[in-house]
Amino acid sequence: MFWRKTRAAIERFHPVHQGLVWQRTASATLPPAEWNALVGSLARHADTVKRRKWRLPDRTVTVLVPLLRVLCEDVAPDGAIGVTADLRGPRVPGKAGPSRKLPVRRPVRSITEWFAIDPWLAVRAELRDGSVLDLTVTDRVRYRRVHKVNPRGKHKTKTKTKTVQRITARRTLQPGQDVRRPDTPPPPWITVRVKSAKRTVVGATMKLGPAPAEVDQVQWILAVATEPFRWTPPAATVRRTA
Amino acid sequence: MNPCAVTTGFFLLGRCGRPSVTVCRCGRAVCAEHVDPQGLCPECATAQAYADPFHPGWARGYRRRYYEDSSGQYSDPLWYSRFDSYDRDQFDAGDGFDIGGDTGDDGGFDVGGDDGNDWVDS
Repeated sequence: MFWRKTRAAIERFHPVHQGLVWQRTASATLPPAEWNALVGSLARHADTVKRRKWRLPDRTVTVLVPLLRVLCEDVAPDGAIGVTADLRGPRVPGKAGPSRKLPVRRPVRSITEWFAIDPWLAVRAELRDGSVLDLTVTDRVRYRRVHKVNPRGKHKTKTKTKTVQRITARRTLQPGQDVRRPDTPPPPWITVRVKSAKRTVVGATMKLGPAPAEVDQVQWILAVATEPFRWTPPAATVRRTA
Repeated sequence: MNPCAVTTGFFLLGRCGRPSVTVCRCGRAVCAEHVDPQGLCPECATAQAYADPFHPGWARGYRRRYYEDSSGQYSDPLWYSRFDSYDRDQFDAGDGFDIGGDTGDDGGFDVGGDDGNDWVDS
């Protein structure tokens, strides 16, 4: 049996880490110390596992780890961060919607279009000031398969994709927490909704098209997550932490 | 013993407040949890370019860049100044602690310019 030692090494990793390798998904609610342990386990991956098939999904290093580092800073040691990450990509069965035919002109024989909805990240963090932050990232990928036939009867097919990303951040404040409209409006590409209730909810949504590059992804998520925090004055922030 | 003056948090800024074990070269009191193996506070340590998110101090080093970037995106200088003033406050403990020691009225320098009184003709 090949790769026996590597497989044994993977089985010694953190259970969530193993899920990222075998299923390319992660779903867990853990305290910050446990997430830090997971990040420590992920840091050893590249040195231990050389097999290409078992490498970590790209978004683990570019998005998941930085986001966990940021959220662990704002969550109390007895708080919890819940993460549901599906890093299998939009092409897996179950994510594609129904297809339809588009009208065509010669030499195009047919165009088939379908959309795949890929909600690949959902995070819920109980922050140290008592508020709860929810983040979601969803890719909507449009596929168009074009089938052409040239005058000599030669068939050609190509598939084009276009990805649009939707990022939402929602912060549910504690009852009675002070809310203040920021002095400046958010950028035009961010939509804000404030729901006043017993627990005020400040939500921000952004639609990005085309989807950002992997290296910029976490910056866009944090850019959207900024808006709910601008609605609480600095006095509402906790001056002393555990 | 001075409490640890390290700024904690990312969106929700806070102050550590644990008992300090050493003083960083920047003058801040630092607790055992936040001190670098070289005896530095997280900010001074991250100033030595920790670009790897696997490093435990990465978020603290990235925090200032994030506030600069997001303040520009939102055209909201108050958002950055909120962080910046908080980060500077840790050096104004208000307990008589003065970085650089007691400099007196003129700090040991000629504040009135060179009037030639301290020159001696040979």
